Amino acid sequence: MIMEAKGIKKNTAIWILAVLVLFVLSIILGIIMRLNQGGAVHLEPGTFYADMTVHGITMIGIWFVAGMAGVNFIMERYVKTSYWANTFALVMTVIGVVMLWVSTLIGDFHAGWTFLYPLPFKIAWSAWATPMFLWALAVLGVGWLVWVLSLMAALLKKYSISQVFAWQHFRNKNPEVETPPFVLISMVSLLGVLTCLIAAVVLLVLLFAEYYSHGTFVNDALLIKNLTYFFGHTIANEMLYLGLAIIYELFPEISGRPKWKTTWYVAIAWNLTLFFVLLAFFHHLYMDFVQPQGLQIVGQLASYLASLPSAGVTVFSVIVAVYRTKIKWSLSNLLFFIGIAGWVIGGVGAVIDATISNNFLLHNTLWVPAHFHSYNAMGNVLFSLGFFHWFSVEYSKRKGQERLSSLKLSFLLLGGIGFLAAFYVAGAESIPRRYSSYPVEFTSAKLLATLGAVFATVYLIAILLFFSSIFKRCLNMVLQRS
Amino acid sequence: MQYALLLLFLVLAAVIALVFIIVYLSSAKSDDELKGMANPLQKRFWFLLILFVCLGIFAFITIPRSPYYLFAKEQPAKVVHVAAGQFFFTMSYKAINPDKPEGEMTIELPVNQLVEFRVTSLDVNHGFAIYSPSKQIVAQTQAMPGYVNVLRWKFKEPGTYTVHCLEYCGMAHQVMQTTFTVK
Repeated sequence: MIMEAKGIKKNTAIWILAVLVLFVLSIILGIIMRLNQGGAVHLEPGTFYADMTVHGITMIGIWFVAGMAGVNFIMERYVKTSYWANTFALVMTVIGVVMLWVSTLIGDFHAGWTFLYPLPFKIAWSAWATPMFLWALAVLGVGWLVWVLSLMAALLKKYSISQVFAWQHFRNKNPEVETPPFVLISMVSLLGVLTCLIAAVVLLVLLFAEYYSHGTFVNDALLIKNLTYFFGHTIANEMLYLGLAIIYELFPEISGRPKWKTTWYVAIAWNLTLFFVLLAFFHHLYMDFVQPQGLQIVGQLASYLASLPSAGVTVFSVIVAVYRTKIKWSLSNLLFFIGIAGWVIGGVGAVIDATISNNFLLHNTLWVPAHFHSYNAMGNVLFSLGFFHWFSVEYSKRKGQERLSSLKLSFLLLGGIGFLAAFYVAGAESIPRRYSSYPVEFTSAKLLATLGAVFATVYLIAILLFFSSIFKRCLNMVLQRS
Repeated sequence: MQYALLLLFLVLAAVIALVFIIVYLSSAKSDDELKGMANPLQKRFWFLLILFVCLGIFAFITIPRSPYYLFAKEQPAKVVHVAAGQFFFTMSYKAINPDKPEGEMTIELPVNQLVEFRVTSLDVNHGFAIYSPSKQIVAQTQAMPGYVNVLRWKFKEPGTYTVHCLEYCGMAHQVMQTTFTVK
């Protein structure tokens, strides 16, 4: 039975509106950065890095909440979720985002979205901006922690622990209780998110301890770096998995195909993912040679193995689901399909960089934004856009015919591929990431940055075309009286 | 090497894109007669096994080439101490006093002989990336406060090498660099 709580539906529409507005603003900030690197505009370095900080943290935040909002909405099909936890997370997210934007764009805080210790304490901006940035993260963390726990609790009210992780599928081909793939992947992702949010709490407590003790308590840079990437890397991965949970549920449904069912194979794969993804973050510390070498090797192996169950199973399943099969293609499942391709191509770039001997040459060059923009801008964003489109059409009174689909997709592909190509080539040319402008000896850097900005503008046009139709429908949903 | 990796990536990306296009076209051409699979989430053991073997081979070849094991059993011909700070590199043949960091005016290193860099930071995290005369990264490590990272390398080509900071360290990060000569 499909249960549709009106409150959750309205909240989902608000989440979508907020994500789309912040996404457009953050893309514009990204384009300004590439234009500055190309020399077409001139920002003071501090302003550039504040722009870079807010761009990174906003993008991570919005695509995480987009995945969460989508999962929460679909979860209503299986269990009753908490409207209040959803609303609490929404309010805390709005407060947290406002604090982040104020601390960076007004307070000029520019320690980067990873705020790598001890840079946030070497204050080169308004003194209040550091605590405001850290408290903004605390506000977001509390809101998201409550939301994640409430969704996990909702699942565990209906399914036992072994059922929610589909362990009964390991040994039994037709178990009495079937765990839908959506439930399994959501639970695996939520547990991963919970783990990295706990790491974020520890991280913030340590940073606050140093800040408020005025340096009496001093942190260890290596420990903090490990915690930072355990949190940062894991949340960036888990948000992709939230998007995949939605795809497992909606791809067959929108395509007019039978619902996908969990098999022993899928159950084991996603249980393994839970484990491997929590160890992959070590690859961010390959160039810290003082890190124990065993952990470096674990980082490479876990990075490889994390891609096997999730990417191997998902990609292959989508391919066999589509191959020579009559599919009802629509904008939503096309976005899912292209997004899976973008995700796996970005994954290849990531695996290359997660190889220690390659990272020795590619670490912190533009290869890094190349691969993570591949699986975000051309992967995860498309998963969520597919959901947004489906949601806005399915539950809106303003059905109408979808126009300009080919144009939207063409712009998205052209802009996305061109924008990413400029990053990959620059990575191969050893051009550093996170430079406000380039020393003259990097001869191709300016041209590549300008090309990146041009193609990113084409991508932005595609997003604005999607934006206009989805925005109108969702706004209508929010404004209509229940 | 970097271009070889770019080529590898482009080939794999093109193959993946081609597979997705072929699969999409096969779906667009199919009619109702071909009903497809009832549940695509069935066991695909062989597919995962191939992926696993490919990645296993890749790991087996690459892990021994990790920088931690490079020239581990050899004695360095030259040791260079590096202290990074906002926004400078101090390099010296002698140990550097963190309270009064002083380095050499110029650093000259031998070609084809083992050089050991002992890299630390005086304030925040920095990068220590060595660029060849043709502006490609040849080796790098991080400069972390409270720790010393040891990087060993043999320079095969004489000339002027540039060191750039590759870990974002503040508003003048992009101009933080130094040079040394290999003869």
